[in-house]
This record gives sequence, structure tokens and C-alpha cells, in this order.
Amino acid sequence: MKLSPEIYKEFEEIVGPRYISQDPGVLETYRCMPAQSSAHYGPYWDHMTPTPMAVILPGCTEEVQGIVRLCNKYKIKFKAGGSFWGAMAYIGSDYSIQLDMRRMRKIEIDVKNQLAIIDPYVNGAMLQSEAMKYGFSCNIPGVGCSSSIVASASGWGGVGPSTVCSGGHKENLCALEWVLPNGELLRTGTAGSGDGWFCGEGPGPSTRAFLTASMGVCGEMGVVTKMAMRLYPWPGPAVLPSTGTVPAYKAALPDNFRCYTVCFPSWDMWAKALTMCYDSDLVYLGHRQFNMFGRDLKGAMIRILTDPDKQLCDLEELLSDPEVKRQTEEMKLEFQIVLAGYTKRDMELKEAILQEILKECDAWLSSMMLEPDIENWALLYLIRLGHKNLNYVMCGSYEGNFGLNPNLWVSASYMEEAAAFKKQWEDTHTSIVKNGGDSEMGSFSFTGGGGAVGWEFFVDFDAYDKDSVTGACDFIDETEKWMAERHLGGDMGRSNKYLRQPNGYDWPQEKHNELFSKVPQPHVFAYQWKVREAINPNLLGGSYYRTLDPEMIPENKR
Amino acid sequence: MALKDFLPQMYRCSSCANCKFIPFDKVQSARFSENCPSICYFSFHSYAARGRYQLAKALVEERLEFTDNIVDVIHNCTSCGACDVACKVCRYNLDVLDHNLELKAYAVEKGHAYPRQKEMIGSLKSEQTMIPGMKKKDRAGWADGLKAKDLSKEKAEVAFFAGCKYSYDPELQKIARADLELLLKCGVDAGLLGAADNCCAGRAYQMGFFDDFRDRAEKNIRAFEAAGVKTIVTPCSDCYHAFKRLYAKLGMDIKVMHFVEYLESLINDGRIKFTKQLPMTVTYHDPCHLGRLGEPYIPWEGKDKKILNQVLVYEPRKPRYNGAYGIYDAPRNILRSIPGLRLAEMERIREYSWCCGAGGGISETNPDFSSWTAGERITEALSTGAEAIVTACPWCESNLRSSQAEDGRKLPVFDIAELVLKAL
Amino acid sequence: MEAKKTALAEIVGAGSVFDEPDILCEYSRDASFAKPMKPILVVKVKDVHEVQKIVKWANETGTPLVPVSSGPPHHRGDTVPSVPGAVIVDLSGMKKILGIDAKQRVVHVEPGVTYSELSEALEKEGLCIPTALAPRKNKSVLASCLDIEPRTNPRYQWFYPEPLRGMEVVWGDGVRLFTGSGGMGPMDLEKQWKEGNRQTGATGPQNVDFIRILTQSQGTTGIVTWAALRCHILPKIHKLYFAAAATPAGLEDFVYRILHFRFGDELMIMNSAYLASLMGEDASQITSLRGQLPPWVAMVGITGRKILPEKKVETQELDIADIAQQFGLKLVPAVPGVSGNQALKKISSPCGDRYWKETYKGAYQDIFFVTTLDRTSKFIDSMRALAEADGYPVSDMGVYIQPQHQGTSVMLEFNLPYDASNPAETAKMKEFFRSASAELSRQGAFYSRPHGIWAPLQLNKDARNYDVLKKMKKIFDPNGIMNPGKLSI
Repeated sequence: MKLSPEIYKEFEEIVGPRYISQDPGVLETYRCMPAQSSAHYGPYWDHMTPTPMAVILPGCTEEVQGIVRLCNKYKIKFKAGGSFWGAMAYIGSDYSIQLDMRRMRKIEIDVKNQLAIIDPYVNGAMLQSEAMKYGFSCNIPGVGCSSSIVASASGWGGVGPSTVCSGGHKENLCALEWVLPNGELLRTGTAGSGDGWFCGEGPGPSTRAFLTASMGVCGEMGVVTKMAMRLYPWPGPAVLPSTGTVPAYKAALPDNFRCYTVCFPSWDMWAKALTMCYDSDLVYLGHRQFNMFGRDLKGAMIRILTDPDKQLCDLEELLSDPEVKRQTEEMKLEFQIVLAGYTKRDMELKEAILQEILKECDAWLSSMMLEPDIENWALLYLIRLGHKNLNYVMCGSYEGNFGLNPNLWVSASYMEEAAAFKKQWEDTHTSIVKNGGDSEMGSFSFTGGGGAVGWEFFVDFDAYDKDSVTGACDFIDETEKWMAERHLGGDMGRSNKYLRQPNGYDWPQEKHNELFSKVPQPHVFAYQWKVREAINPNLLGGSYYRTLDPEMIPENKR
Repeated sequence: MALKDFLPQMYRCSSCANCKFIPFDKVQSARFSENCPSICYFSFHSYAARGRYQLAKALVEERLEFTDNIVDVIHNCTSCGACDVACKVCRYNLDVLDHNLELKAYAVEKGHAYPRQKEMIGSLKSEQTMIPGMKKKDRAGWADGLKAKDLSKEKAEVAFFAGCKYSYDPELQKIARADLELLLKCGVDAGLLGAADNCCAGRAYQMGFFDDFRDRAEKNIRAFEAAGVKTIVTPCSDCYHAFKRLYAKLGMDIKVMHFVEYLESLINDGRIKFTKQLPMTVTYHDPCHLGRLGEPYIPWEGKDKKILNQVLVYEPRKPRYNGAYGIYDAPRNILRSIPGLRLAEMERIREYSWCCGAGGGISETNPDFSSWTAGERITEALSTGAEAIVTACPWCESNLRSSQAEDGRKLPVFDIAELVLKAL
Repeated sequence: MEAKKTALAEIVGAGSVFDEPDILCEYSRDASFAKPMKPILVVKVKDVHEVQKIVKWANETGTPLVPVSSGPPHHRGDTVPSVPGAVIVDLSGMKKILGIDAKQRVVHVEPGVTYSELSEALEKEGLCIPTALAPRKNKSVLASCLDIEPRTNPRYQWFYPEPLRGMEVVWGDGVRLFTGSGGMGPMDLEKQWKEGNRQTGATGPQNVDFIRILTQSQGTTGIVTWAALRCHILPKIHKLYFAAAATPAGLEDFVYRILHFRFGDELMIMNSAYLASLMGEDASQITSLRGQLPPWVAMVGITGRKILPEKKVETQELDIADIAQQFGLKLVPAVPGVSGNQALKKISSPCGDRYWKETYKGAYQDIFFVTTLDRTSKFIDSMRALAEADGYPVSDMGVYIQPQHQGTSVMLEFNLPYDASNPAETAKMKEFFRSASAELSRQGAFYSRPHGIWAPLQLNKDARNYDVLKKMKKIFDPNGIMNPGKLSI
């Protein structure tokens, strides 16, 4: 489907001919392949998201507003994307256009008030590098520093290793500027009255409530054009020192930074140690990171990644090396933490607290991870999270599953059983990588200070291999049943299958009605329907925004 | 490999966006965080390596017909390999640059090349140079009067290979001349190839004219062998890459050195001694084909296989070109050895250096894009406080000299040999 | 009227519906300048089912409802009906602490639970809750959290509505819902707890952030019937230190640095008048204290909790003292007239029977708004000038600067004691309150909690937010029965 020449011209007049295209080659590159990692809705073999009618690159808020107004005039659906990683960035219906936000990339830092005011294309690496010049860092979600902060905060989640200390994006969010789906421009909090960007709450109830909650709106409700995000302290140099031979980069930081892999005899102790970390405000960064390679493979993988001359073909040899085996076994149950001291005394205190935790939890530090080159590699890895595509290192794709139960003690109690369930699948099916069952990884906390957690097991599969893709999908379906049987709050792996159809298209409202009328609290979705009616009257978004026609709730039926 | 052989990679590329940025571990500022001139200039996702995979997938799967714009997307790539390095920070089973080049070759094969490219290839065939308008008979003019051996008549330890740009560009000829003079002055047994001195055709490869490249390369190899060449020393990074990587793949067994490597050894041996101070601050621009693409060729024949159910590996071990072992230190060591000279590094250096914009034949086929790319580099160079930018490739030098920073400023550009000569 | 009384009696029982004039009178006014308005009835509710029935009934009958959780005296006008015919829904009798989960550090409270009641229960579990500054004895914890009264420990305020987590709400249209992570499970707390869900996720549960439709809403969108609150580990050691300066600007860099490093727990700035009001037992003591206290103090609390409490306190004492020195200040355990321990006790505990702000002159008005620390001096100077021009005694004006959200903003509060028994003084104060509020607004004061006259002042500066707020109101309270007239929506 194409835009009529007249409508195309109207869009072109807004951004200029250089920043709009309806060339089929360009349009083709703005489609997503659900056989790849698709952010918890697939994977599905042999499908692609629909082709947009045009791709437009706005350069400023006014242009965005102009585009959205035209979309309303002609009832054209639209979606804005930044890094174009996940499926949620792409349109889901035929009569749609794609906005690519890469021209909007300004960063302004309010040093005193610990704020960055950023444009939509700014990603974690861009912001962190600018913030470090002033002694700050920023929350970088687990998905990695290549992701747009605005997209992550307004469209998705936004939690990672830093969240326990820095707070998640949604906690850090101050004022924002938002072109509503109806084309009106809303600035929340202090920005609305021109008083600055420092507060996004109110006046009175906060209108940001319509943009981002536990889930963001995935680009289905207008376009955020500016956000103010709280930063958090960085007691390191103004430039992140990165040395070493590619790809084994490592950080050479002063003594007030340490990265430890803390190992445990049991999941109980593991959970207890996490709680102690929360209670003592100990960690600067906290993640169970490298277990994403799997319980059996992580030691060998770390050896590969920290040696510029090694490759995946060295894996088998490393796996048979008794020393690597011992080191891998030593860190069977573990997590990584980064301690950062704001002063020498502060660092000493933190080291002492860690010793207390080790003592009380019968824990120990992984000796392999204390080798200076490996520790410095891990430090750099966790601080910048610049290695997102290691998620795909094994065979090109992965999906995370299990997870979701936010209670640390509940999730810890079923971890081993879940690992065994996955291991059994690995042993009896060839569709996913055999890495020892337990490939659980994730952030210390979804919220600043600790508390709610969300772990996922990495399921590695080959996006070019139909059997692997469909097998991974089957496995995730099985874990979904396994989770449901145990009342564990649903499975993360396919938790978004209600957001987009396997063929890449939006679900029709009827499907959402069917699904969301059966949930325990259907009014959640009915209110979302009403919110959409209020600010997106022409329904120019897609089914990533979850709605239920209020008429479907029996008590509402007229 | 044919383009369809890259289909597995087209599926396995995960859209992570790393190909648009320098390795994230190296980002020092938002301003200089990106690595790909093509997407930075043209803006659409299609111009990044990820977009190229996706475009190629549609072409291979015959879902898409060529359009003028698709041809533009395919050819407007400087083949600088920055995306390849960034991708390989984490991935062991994608070869992004090889794919970009194969996509160009596919377009060429299907008849979708620019007239200017065809002109360049025509010149390669008729005059053995890819600078249209230049004549074979004028090629050696830059060395008139120099007492270098003629390798068609006698043997020498070193064959000095200036390359097309140094040979024909009147602004740059003096540098090639100075290089050779320096070698001779140091007592190096160096000569010129005479009739066997022809274009390396590396640019033909970079533009996707694989057959024309191969044809020229094989002729050159035969000529080098006939002349009994033992070591080729070239001050041109494009030529260096062609000989070191591409010719080696075609079976050439001749030692290849870039002039900076040779110069460094002369300084280390004490054959070059500096007598003058050069009190200036300079910054060094890593030519792509000397740096990240300057790794030596390692022969490999093998196949891929899966272990642990789905982990993709190669049997036997496949060489991995990720820029780890390019030529980065020799030029820097030379600069550091010049008395009074201070080296101020840019943010994007070594394997994650920003391209000058001349690669892939872009300086010929799309001068605006090429010049803009060079301008970005000058802007970055100026941000270091440097008074000049130094490099080791005539294409980079020429492009940087003719371009200006975003604020309109220009910066003196030196070949590294020029600074060495000034300090002697 | 009688029909309404009967209908409500059917819901809550006759003994819980009140129409005695003195009771109605009590709810018809407060200590603010809100225009007095008598409700027609007061109902005291016991549980969410009663609340839901009342809201449904109110929708059917078009009866305005005004929710109230704290005991009197109220000060912000939000509990005074703005329209005739309103029914007060008094939730102060819902006093259950529904559960404490020490492992998850979360407590569930009903609206009637006060700070002292909650602290007592939490202490037994080794926990505590971040409080607003020296709250009224009968202040509802939940109401205080919903209004986002700033906590005194900004270091732990990761997000503004801290420590709020999940809630149960009856919206203005009568729909009952769990907000936050509880919103995806069955609407049964016990069942959710059994599955390990302690409603620790504050936001969502999906695309709409219900918590932010309730916070700062002055009861205009719904009635909250319980809330989960995030607790802290009860400190084993807790100290408070001072750094004194002649001007607030003199404390700015020090406070910024403490915020930047996330050191300390409590952190705030007060002028001598404010601190004296907080500490003094009577007017003369307050006057005397004002004379002794330094003009401005920053107060920093330091806690040692479960792990290495002594070492932690010692480390932070030294580090914070170093920072103070860096900025030419001295960190001291006491200032003339007040010790750290005394101040800490006052700050973190509910006050006695009489609210401390009323001690000096019997009545007061507060002007508070959100700004940034580096802008506070400008506002303070302006306010002084306004007071001087108006003839208000500047020496009586208390100033409290409470950093929020880990330092991205502060709440700046001007406390203006006056004698309410003097009609002339009261009239003068009313006019001063109005004009000063307006002038500060003009200068960029952001009334994030827009009580009374601040609502039009703020919303008139921001038409788009106003418009979206009206849409929000229409969704959650389509018949406009929830505290109509408030927030100008």
C-alpha cells in the first residue's frame, strides 16, 4: 500500500524531501522478522511485520506534531522507533507509516539537579558518556546501552543492573514532552508551565499516567519528543577508561571500583544475600549476568570473551579443561555486583559489608572472576552494558522465559526446578542450546533500593533454522504451562503474544476483548480502552496497547 | 561466496543496532559515538549494516526489484568496515563487511552500477588506473630523476609501490617522491616496478567489481613474480590492503609492508635520526585499510557446524578479522619519536576509527557524501585541539584536504612522511 | 435528605451515618481559607464493600462525596466540600494493618492507620516507614502518602510517591480495582499473598499508571481503601547532625554534594523560625529558641541498620564532616538550643495533641511548592520582600527546604504563623496568602499539590495538562461525584 502523491507531498513539506521515503528498498528495512528475538512474543518462523507506506524522519517536536496531525487528518496509523531492535518498534498494520527518530538526539545536562533532558534517539551509551563528564551515570536497562532511553522509558520497561542503585527509568523520569496521538502537545509537570524539567508529577494527578506504567505504551500512543531523566552518581573518571584488544575490552578503573562474582551453596543463601544487599544499600550495580550463557558454559564463555584470540570453536576444548570445569562449578549459583566507593572510607565500608554477607550466607567469591583482566572486563561490561549482542552470540537469537514473579523468595524457590525442566528439554530436543538448564539471568531489582525482581532464562535458538525456531517456541509454550500449574504468575517468554499476531500484524480488538474479559481484573483493560478513546480518538496505534471494550464486562453491559 | 550464501547471516543478524555505533565500550561522547558514515549521512536505517542485510534478504528472496534508490543504498557505503568491527565485539558468526561488499557485487552483476563506476573500471582496463582521465604513460612521472632501480631490469630488496593516487595527484606526488628519497637516503635497496606498476584494483573490489578486481590482481601478481619482487612497500593504505589481504587470498606470496612499518623499522634501527624539533600538536587519523582492515590474510577452508545442539562454530577454526591486529602502533610510534611533536588522540581511533569518506570509490561516485564524511573527521580532529591532522594514505589525505569541518574550518593535513622529513 | 440518610444507613448501618449539626459543622471548615460548606451527611465506613456501595449509590443519586481519612484539624481545604449536598466518607475508622511482610519489607495499611500506630507495629518486626516531617498525631499515613507529602529522607525517594506501592481503590465510577502489580491477580489480597504477590510493584499493572491518577488528586478520582507501603529496616543507631550557615545559599553546595553521593538518611534545610517552631513547646520557648539558633541549618540524619551499624555510622560521620569542611561548614551534633537527638525525635515522630505549627500563634498558613535547590534563595528573597511589603513579620516566617526525588527537586515551604482569633490579622493573612501565592507562581513556583487557590493558579499556566486532567476525571469519575470543585476539574 502506498500513500497518495498528495498526502506524500504534505508529509514531505513537513520534513523536507531528504527525510521521507517510500522507496520499497527503504521500506523493506523497516520490517521486523519474528523468527528473531522478538521481545517475548514469538519466535515465529517465516513472517515479517507489515511494510510501512512511508518512513519519515522528523527533526524536531514541531515536525513530529505536524506528522501526527496529518496522520489524524487521513487516519493513518503511525509508530516511532529508535534503535529498531525489538518487534515493538515496528508498525502492525497496512495503512501505517513509520517514524524513525534518529535525527532527534540532543542531550542537555542540569548538573546541579542531577538531570538529563534528552531527545528520543539518545541511547544509554550516548547519555552515560555525556553524564560521566559531570560525575554522573544513568540507568541503563538490561537490554543494553544501544537502546533509546526515551523508547525504553515510555514504551517498555527500563530496568537493569543499575536499577537497584539508580532507580528504573520510570522512577527517574521527571518532566516530559509528548505529542499525543491526537496531535496535541503535552508537557508534563514543571515543563507544562514552563518552570523547568525537574518534576513530572502533577499538578494534581499526573498526566504521565497515560503514557507509562509498569509497561510502556510501545509507541502506540503518540510520540515522546523529550524526557528529563534523573542521573545517579559516577565516582569515576570523566571518560570511561577502556583498554585491551578488541573484543576483550576492559576497564582500568581506580580502586574505588570492584566487580565481584559472589557464589552460593544454595538458592536460599543466594536470596538471603540479595536481601542483605538491599538492606545495606551495598551495590552500585547488581545483576546475575554471565549465567545467561548457561550454568555449564559460563566459565568457558568468559574465557573466550576475555581472550581476543579465542572463538566459539574453542568452546568444546575449554569445556573439557579441568580447571575451567572447576571454575565453572565454583560459580554455579552466583551473581555479579559492582561496588563503587564515593570516598576511600565508603569503599572500605562496602568491602566490610560484603565480607559480612559472605560470612552470613556461606558465600565465596569466584576466583576466576577475580583475575584482574576478567574483573576489569566484567566491570566494563556491567557499567556500560555495551554487549547486548552477546545475547545472540551462540546461534543468532534468544528469548527469555520463566521469570515474572516479583517476589525474590518465591522465584528463588523454584529456580532449581525450572532449571531441571529446561535441562530435560535440552537433553531431549535439539532445538535450543544445551547449556546446563539454568541460564537464568536478570536484574537485582526492578525498583530502586531493591524489592521486586524479574529473572529470565535465556533460551538460545537459531533464527535461520526452522526447527530451532519452532522448537524454541514449543519449549516456551511448555514452560508457560509449567508456570501456570505452579501459579507462578505467567511466563515471560510469551507474555507479549497478545500484543502482535504471529504474522506480525496487530491483533484485532475482538481478540483483546476475548482475552482481557477473562482476566481477574478486566477493568484494568477497560480503563485503558477509555484512555485510548480520550487521547487517541482516531485509534492510530496498534495492539501493543492493551484494551478491552468496557461493554464486554458483564456489569457494564447496557 | 554469492549473496545467497549470506542468507543465514541475514536471519541471524539480530537488529541490535551495534553496527551503527563504535564499540559501546569506547564511546566518550554522544557527538562522536557513531561509526557508519553511510547512515549518518543518509539517515535511513537501510544504510546501516543491519538494513543492508534486510535489503539483501528481500532481493535474494526475490521479493524486491531494484530501484534507483536501492542502487544508491547499496553503493553508498565506504566499505570502511567500522560496522564489522562493532558487530564482532560480540558476534562470532557474522561477517558484516563481507556481506556489504557481496551486496555491491550482486548489484554490479545484475547491471546496477553507477556510470562513474563504469568509467573507473574502464580506465582500469585501458590505462590500469582507477582515476579516470589519467594515462598509463604518465604514471611514473612523479619519480622522474630519482635514482631508484628499475625492477624490470634489475633486482632490489624492496619494490616501492606508490599507487595511483600518489602517482597522479599533483598535490601528493611530492610525498611519494619524498618517501622514496628517504628510503634511498637510508640506503635501502629500493626500486620501482616500471611496466609492472599498475593499479592494485583494490577500489574495484570495494565497489563490488569482483571480476575486474580479480583480473587485474592476477595480472599484477604475475608481473610482480616475473620481476622477482620480494617485498612491496607502499605508502598507500588501499594498496596495502589489496596486496596484504586480497592478493594473498589469490595466492600472492610476497611480503607486503606499509611505508609506516618500514619507516618505524628505520627509526628503530637508527638509520633515521631526527635533528629538528617540531613543536606542534597533531592528531592521527587511522586509514581504514591500514588499521582495522590491515590485518594479514590467513588461509581457511572449512565449513560451519553446530555443537551443543545449536551453537554455531566453524571447522577448522576460521580466521577472524575484527581489526584487533591492524597497523595502529607504527604510525603512532613514529609520531612520538619526532622531537617536540605532541599527539592528541581523537575519540574514534584504531579499530573504531571514523572513515575519511574516500573508501568504496565514494570520493568519485558521491563527492558530497565523501566530503561530508571527511568534514566530520576534521570536526573531530579540531575537538582535540590539534593544529594538524596526520595520516598515512593518499586517499584520506586528499579527501581531508579538500573538506572542511561543520563550522567551516579547515585543518592542515600531513602525510606522516612529511613530518618525518621536516624533523630530519 | 432523609432518603439519602436511609439509603446510606442501609449500607453502613444507622450508627455510622451522622447528620448532627455539630458533626456536620466540624467537617464544613478547616484551618485553611477554603470557603466553609456544610455536608449533608457524614458516613463512617468500615470496609471497601461499603465504600463501593456508597460510590455506586452516589453515582445513581448524583451525590458529591468527600473522602476524609485523617482526624482534624485539617489545613488544606481538600476535605471541605466545595459544593452543597456533599456526603463525607470518613475512612478514619478503617484502622487495620492488614499485614507486614518483613522479608519483602512491605506493610499493608487501611486509610485510618496513623503514623504512630504504624510505627509501633512495624517496630516489632524490625521495620520502620519513611515519614513526612513531624506529622499530626492523627494524620493518616495513607492520606499523607497519597498527597505526596515529602519524606524527610530523599536518598530513599527513588520515585515521587515513595513509599507507596500497590493499592486497592474504588474509582469514582464505582469500579473496584487493585493498582500496581496486584492488578493482574485475583481481587483477593489473601489469595495473592498466598502466591507470593505482596503488591510490591507500584506502577501499572499495565499501560496506565493508576497510582498517578490517585496521588495528589485530593480525592477527586477515587477512594483508596488500602495501600502497600515499602518499609525500611529499623535503624540500630540513628543520629542527626547540623551544619549551620548565615544564608540558605551557604548550605546549597553542601546539600547538593550529600545528595549527589546519596549519603545520610534525613536531609533538609530550615531557618531558625521553622526549627524553633518545630522544637519549641510554647510561644515563648519558640521566641527564645529563634534567638539562639543559627539563621539556617542543614540537618543530616545518619543511620546504622542491620549490618555493621557502628562502622556505617562512623564512616558517614567522617565523610559528611569532610564534605561540610570542603564547603567551609562544620558538621556538629548540636546547635545552640537544640541537639541532634532532640531534633531527630521531633522530625520523625508524630507530634503531640496540638499540631506543632499551631504552637506559636495558634494558627498558620503554609505556602509550599516544588522547585530546585539552586532556585530556593531567589524565592526566599522574594517571599521576604513580599512579607515586608505586606507588613507580615519576616522573623515569624519559617522556611523549610525538603529535597525530594534524590535531589532533582525540593519542596520549598513557607510557614506563616498568625493569630486566627484576630479577625484583622486573619483577613490580612488571607490576602497575603493569596497575593504571595500568586506572585510566587508568577516567578515559577510549581504547585504540584495544588490545594485551594493554587489549583487555578497552576492550571491556568498549563492549558494542555488541564485539558488532559479533565479527560482523566471524566474517565474515572464520569458523573463528577468525587470531591467536585477541587483541582478546578
